[in-house]
Amino acid sequence: MSNSSDDRTAELRELFFESAQELIQALNEEALKLEKKPGDSEVVRSIRRIVHTLKGDAGACGYRELSELAHEFEDVLALEISSAEHDQMAEVALAAADVFAALIEAYRKKKKVPSAQALRARIHKLAAPPAKKTRRKKSASSLHFAWSEYERLAIRNALSQGKNVFNIAAQIDPVCAMPVAARQLIENALKTVGEVLAIRPEPGARDAARLVEAALSSQLAPQEIEAKCHIPSIVSKVTMETAQAAKQAKKAAGAEEPTKDVTEAPSPAPEEPGDSQAAAPTPSIAGAENILRVDAERIDNVLNLVGELIIGKSMLYQVMNEFARQHPKDTLRNKFADAMGFQARVLNDLQRAVMKIRMVPVEQLFRRFPRIVRDVAHQCGREVELVLTGQDTDLDKSILDAIAEPLTHMVRNAVSHGIEPAEERQRLGKSPQGTVQLDAYHQGNQVMVEVRDDGRGINVPRVRAKAIEMGLVTTQEAARLSDAEALDFIFRPGFSTAEEVTQISGRGVGMDVVQSVLQRMKASVSVETGAGEGTTFRLKLPLTLAIIKALMFTVEERLYAIPLNAVAEIARATEGGVHQVDNHEVLPLRNQMLPLVRLGHLPAEDTEKRSRKFFVLVINVGERKLGLIVNGLVGEEELVIKALDDQVVTTDLVSGASILGDGRVVLILNLAAIVERMGRMRPEEAGAVLSGLLFQHGESMTRKAGDSTGVEA
Amino acid sequence: MEQFAAVKRKDGQPVRYLIVDDSVFARKNLARMIESFGGQVAGEAGDGCTAITEYDRTNPDIVLMDITMPQMEGIEAAERIVRSHPNARIVMVSSVGYQDNIVAALQRGARHFVQKPVKPEVLYEVIKYVMGEDASVASAAGAGA
Repeated sequence: MSNSSDDRTAELRELFFESAQELIQALNEEALKLEKKPGDSEVVRSIRRIVHTLKGDAGACGYRELSELAHEFEDVLALEISSAEHDQMAEVALAAADVFAALIEAYRKKKKVPSAQALRARIHKLAAPPAKKTRRKKSASSLHFAWSEYERLAIRNALSQGKNVFNIAAQIDPVCAMPVAARQLIENALKTVGEVLAIRPEPGARDAARLVEAALSSQLAPQEIEAKCHIPSIVSKVTMETAQAAKQAKKAAGAEEPTKDVTEAPSPAPEEPGDSQAAAPTPSIAGAENILRVDAERIDNVLNLVGELIIGKSMLYQVMNEFARQHPKDTLRNKFADAMGFQARVLNDLQRAVMKIRMVPVEQLFRRFPRIVRDVAHQCGREVELVLTGQDTDLDKSILDAIAEPLTHMVRNAVSHGIEPAEERQRLGKSPQGTVQLDAYHQGNQVMVEVRDDGRGINVPRVRAKAIEMGLVTTQEAARLSDAEALDFIFRPGFSTAEEVTQISGRGVGMDVVQSVLQRMKASVSVETGAGEGTTFRLKLPLTLAIIKALMFTVEERLYAIPLNAVAEIARATEGGVHQVDNHEVLPLRNQMLPLVRLGHLPAEDTEKRSRKFFVLVINVGERKLGLIVNGLVGEEELVIKALDDQVVTTDLVSGASILGDGRVVLILNLAAIVERMGRMRPEEAGAVLSGLLFQHGESMTRKAGDSTGVEA
Repeated sequence: MEQFAAVKRKDGQPVRYLIVDDSVFARKNLARMIESFGGQVAGEAGDGCTAITEYDRTNPDIVLMDITMPQMEGIEAAERIVRSHPNARIVMVSSVGYQDNIVAALQRGARHFVQKPVKPEVLYEVIKYVMGEDASVASAAGAGA
């Protein structure tokens, strides 16, 4: 096999994985519909279309097991249409969706394909008496040239390159007792006269189909091809048509099979070879062609380049300022500034445009939940309605991918632990059916995703007790904690896995994992709960991971930054104003006590200490407020975050680094981690240890971050 | 036995065959058919290994290859021959039960297959098809056998 065709295969497979996921999703949705309306032949037909497409696509990629399984399922579905309803059908369709998904996952990871015997058995059980199978055979012997999306694409490509494409149907000679071998031979023969763009049945299919349909691109004359197809003792009849004659094929197919679907539409004939998309004959295809599937990595590359440009912009600003200082009267200065302003504007637009490419509606994530909620509800015998709102809120694709797992976890929890059993709900005067709501909306520069249930809520006193039992807080401390602070314990590792807590409070298995995933991307999670009223988990997500508006400040001469949207206000204070409460440093601010975090070292005890001034950055992390003590403010800037690899970052207190226009490196602090660290430590050691951590690694990190981006630090 | 119009190579020489089968009877049977097509048996082999060396020695136009043989199966022999002689024309000869093996052989470069028991008229057409433009049916000359 030549390299170019290897490339093509790889590309096709990529495409396949993308679209297969959508097909599985659609299959899930339709199966759920069928469960609500058993025997709805419209839905069954739609399921069959999906399975059919999946079969074809999998076959085109050489995924035999999947293709065969889909084929068998499709057969059963075909019977279903004629033979009224099966109450098992929805169940099997859901099971099939799972098995298909597992197969696809295995193919994608090039792992061993899991056994599908269980599903196969269920499918066979569904199958009606074999007498009915003849129906299908008859329809299979009609010519339809039903190529899949990829194959149609390949055909269009070949046509646009000026090649001739033929749809060829070869009937296998009745005397030949080995149809599989015969089909292989036909395929081989076709390959000697041109490029096989599509072939049915799929190569390697094991059934006894005696009609081979293929799309062949060839430079040879039709007669030559036909001669080659007349394989003695194998092929009894050959029919050929050029691919342009699509209408005929459609007519032939339409007559035999009234339930044609869009994906089965014959390959369109581009009147204008080349890139012209207007030539696509049906609107659905034109729509599909206007959507490009691009590897996310390529977009990331562009985004990285935009990031570099932004650094370049601030370099230019730096130079311009210097220039302005040295030549304050030079008229060139203004022209310089104008050009810079223009460049900045365009750069801004560019950045936004690239970001927009990465944005996808959260619906992509939400749509998987109806199935999950149904399954979990079935498992634990709950009645749950899932309400989805705000699906069209856009979110960065990488963030969406990252929250998929945590969100799934929270939704499962909400159903299995949050919602009470129906009898209990009725006793409490609630409607027997619980509600889980997923909501997404914008708030400022952030996106909020909420998981809300109207279940029993988290038992806060129980959480307090558990925290004391685990030695996380003393009894006195626990009593002083607000409910919100107490609830934070459910995010502690190990806390949640305790049996009693999960049974009583019904929360928390793996909530620490949820939080750590969120922290990694500068997101946070908060929780609100009312006994008997339900629980709301609120994820606060950044719009994007790559560029943040940040506030820069210095601590002991070193430059740091935190996301600007975390800063609530900036206050001035002196060491004299700091009070010690319970070994915590706090600052009275407008009649409230603000807990302080000291990033630097404690100042030496001397006479001037009490009058020493500093700034306090009041930050919001989750529902809590904290004051960060910093020495100097530098200003706000858009920072392009450079990820630090794990070897460089030995602490989770720093989430990334960035480079300023003048080449200085700034470390971006991970606020959530800092707050969490502070909470875990005894107050008296906190300041020292925290600053120790930062400074111990600060030096080498600063250097390495500079190295990795090629800018002198 | 039925007589066929001789199939000759383009240079007018008879088509040369290598017959590979572990059964002497089967080889003889095939040889008879080949001669009735005006062909010439260039060599015979009773197993896959010999088939490979015989191919190298005789450089035949067509190989008739059995699927099941001792030492080296027909598929492997076919594959090896095709690997070193991409233009080798190998026709697998097998009974119906070995469909999978035939598919495998076809995927590895075999050109055709005929079903056992081999019918002369079928093999004759297959030979013409496999030889394609490299052979023609001698017209007036009639039988070469």
